[in-house]
Amino acid sequence: GRAPGPPDGGWGWVVVFGAFLSIGFAYAFPKGLAIFFKEIQNFFGTSYSEVAWISSIMLATTYGAGPISSILVNRYGSRPVVMFGGLLCGVGMISAAFCTSILQLYVCVGFITGLGLALNLQPSVIIIGKYFLKRRPIANGLAMAGSPVMLCTLAPLNQFLFENFGWRGSFLILGAILLHCCVAGALFRPIGARTALVETPVTEEGKDALKGKITEDGPMENKPEEEEGKDCFEKINQYLDFSLFKHRGFLIYLIGNVLMFLGFFAPIVFLAPYAKHTGIDEYSAAFLLSILAVVDMVARPATGIIANSRWVRPKIQYFFSFAIAFNGACHLLCPLASSYTGLVVYSSFFGLAFGMVCAMLFETLMDLLGAARFTSAVGLVTIAECCTILLGPPIGGILIDTFGDYKYMFIKCGAVMVLAGTFLFIMNYYNYRMLAKEEKERKRKEEDPKSVRTEDEGKKNWNKDSTQDGPELEPLREEGEGVKKEMNGT
Amino acid sequence: AGFIKSPLSQKRLTQDSVELYCEAIGNPIPEIQWWFEGNDPNETYAQLWDGARQDRVKINATYNLHSTSTISIANLTGDDSGMYECRASNDPDRNHLSKSPKVKWIRSQANVFVIERPEITAQVAESSGKLILSCNISAPHLSITGHQWIHKDKVLEEDKKTDTFTTYEIDGTREEHSGVYECVFEANPQIRGQVNISVAPQVTAYKKSEHGNEGDTGVLVCKNPSFPAVTTWSWSKTGHGVSAALENASGRYIIKSSGNKTELRILKLDIEQDTGDYYCNGTNSFGTGEATVNLRVRSRLAALWPFLGIVAEVLVLVTIIFIYEKRRKPDEVPDGKRPPGKSNATNHKDKNVRQRNAN
Repeated sequence: GRAPGPPDGGWGWVVVFGAFLSIGFAYAFPKGLAIFFKEIQNFFGTSYSEVAWISSIMLATTYGAGPISSILVNRYGSRPVVMFGGLLCGVGMISAAFCTSILQLYVCVGFITGLGLALNLQPSVIIIGKYFLKRRPIANGLAMAGSPVMLCTLAPLNQFLFENFGWRGSFLILGAILLHCCVAGALFRPIGARTALVETPVTEEGKDALKGKITEDGPMENKPEEEEGKDCFEKINQYLDFSLFKHRGFLIYLIGNVLMFLGFFAPIVFLAPYAKHTGIDEYSAAFLLSILAVVDMVARPATGIIANSRWVRPKIQYFFSFAIAFNGACHLLCPLASSYTGLVVYSSFFGLAFGMVCAMLFETLMDLLGAARFTSAVGLVTIAECCTILLGPPIGGILIDTFGDYKYMFIKCGAVMVLAGTFLFIMNYYNYRMLAKEEKERKRKEEDPKSVRTEDEGKKNWNKDSTQDGPELEPLREEGEGVKKEMNGT
Repeated sequence: AGFIKSPLSQKRLTQDSVELYCEAIGNPIPEIQWWFEGNDPNETYAQLWDGARQDRVKINATYNLHSTSTISIANLTGDDSGMYECRASNDPDRNHLSKSPKVKWIRSQANVFVIERPEITAQVAESSGKLILSCNISAPHLSITGHQWIHKDKVLEEDKKTDTFTTYEIDGTREEHSGVYECVFEANPQIRGQVNISVAPQVTAYKKSEHGNEGDTGVLVCKNPSFPAVTTWSWSKTGHGVSAALENASGRYIIKSSGNKTELRILKLDIEQDTGDYYCNGTNSFGTGEATVNLRVRSRLAALWPFLGIVAEVLVLVTIIFIYEKRRKPDEVPDGKRPPGKSNATNHKDKNVRQRNAN
């Protein structure tokens, strides 16, 4: 029989809460720091751009350290990595409270805390994949909702801390608050232990359970035995699966997402300045961002639920491409909105689209690759996205400065995203067809006495490539049918 | 020699100033002189020089490619009225005392009329939440073509009426709209009057409560946006009373003041001594105004207590979570030790080995 598979509930919801906290901190914290910048700028006598570098370094480290995260999770599992990450964040901010120069702040806040947040972000996403399969989109949607919620909480909290304790005191207290990532990490009970407990190792079912476990956590299990007699490349490969670059779905996702991020964040950065440019006062402009955050908060779990439904789940890649194209369409239509009501409508739709994309960002990658290879995949994807994420707002800024008009930035972002969405749509259509073909092949081969799926240690990694596709796809297909059966049954 | 530019006739009011401009060309370069004939029938032309009429006359001449000369007379009186003549000559014998010149001086005339400055009665009236500024001019023979009201170099109101009075209405109180307002009567020449709305200093604190860290420098700022400007600022603190106490006595206080702003800097803040209310006092000829600024000095360790509290809470939560986990799965006690992830991996490895060997 098949392995019991991810629990899809129970302690999984507690893990989702932990991931909610962890992801929330990772995404919202760099944005929340902006409140302190003016004071720091005055204190050290630097220019605004020098202080803004702190945020950029933090963001770059959080995304760039993705592969390190993946390697560590592959080796040690999610829990120790997140707890260590939380500790690192805390230490980073606490030492930042005692900094005496802007360079030290770059290191403490930018680099150390950024690294800690990276060690928080990836494992949280990974462990959701380990705990959920049938309800995974909902779990992903709920966990990603942590980002807007944390942002809405951190912004006033930071203001309060700043007024009462000054920036040094605030950094000290924020360091302590970041230690809650350790608490979130403590909740990430390793899933392997649970499965082992359910079936005792001696029974036949237990063997099957562990076999199933083996095929799912293939890379982790086979490797320790094969450590002797491996060359350097294979050693790196065991921690970070570079063979992913041969995986069709992964490449499609990578190219589409890297393209998308070029226009993803710039509109948020420039929404408030654009509103002020059209003559709206500061508070109303800030209110637009609040509307965005609130709609975002609701959109993410809602998207999770929709993506989990039996109509959408099998074709979730199409839903994702639609969300991206919808996002792009919003930006293209934005220049038409000149009044405040127009901008409010734009912010709501933008919040909706933004939430939809974010909720499914990791879900679609998991869908393509399965939980086991996701660990390495997420690291490689984030480091590739790192460049375009950092480039997006500055390019937008250059467009605005050159033309003196915000609409070209919106048009550029909209065009890039519509392009990305269309690309993903077409390529995934092609991918789905190829997968259907491969499945037919596999089913034909299964009737063959010789089984393609073996746990042969001697095989090279790219053979594992084809074997890995099997278990990850099957659950989806069966799950699709299973869900259908469920629906029909109820 | 010949004139390129001749001086223009002008009308002026007393206490005003007038400028006459003259330009001449010739080879060699001609000299320019200014001569004046008063309105008295007995008067003859007399020459004007730089510094004449108690230094009210200034003559500025340049002799480059051609000659230019500007004569300006300040603080005009009725006696300055008359004919002003610009004379030019390039004859080498032009100023010879005995010889008479071969070529005469060429002349160009301009008439300057100095009119007695009419009196303008300027008034500010307050009624039912409104301020009414009015200017009344006593010049019956003057032909007025319009009025203007100007404040801070911006035209507030203008019209083309020919009355000898003009009014301007503002909604609000004197305190809100203090400043200098000009009423302009369009005529030849233009006549301006000034209406001042003067109040006692409306002193406000830049920030009602300020924070500072122990040992750092604290800055308290008060400003006065009203008219007229403050002549004396003073700072005082509860308990000390008079401003003198906040002078540089202990060397820790630095006060920087201007007409509309004052800044008190306190060096090396001390929690005991410096926390409290500070009063900034501004005085001008119409009264005094005061504002209060509250200073809170944060101890260096203020943030430490919440920090320790949160760290303790985190430790407690993590311990509770691990203990709960241990209790739920007693056979995992060997795995329960940190790092659990690692030991789980090892666990599986053992189990795999057992399984494989069993196979």
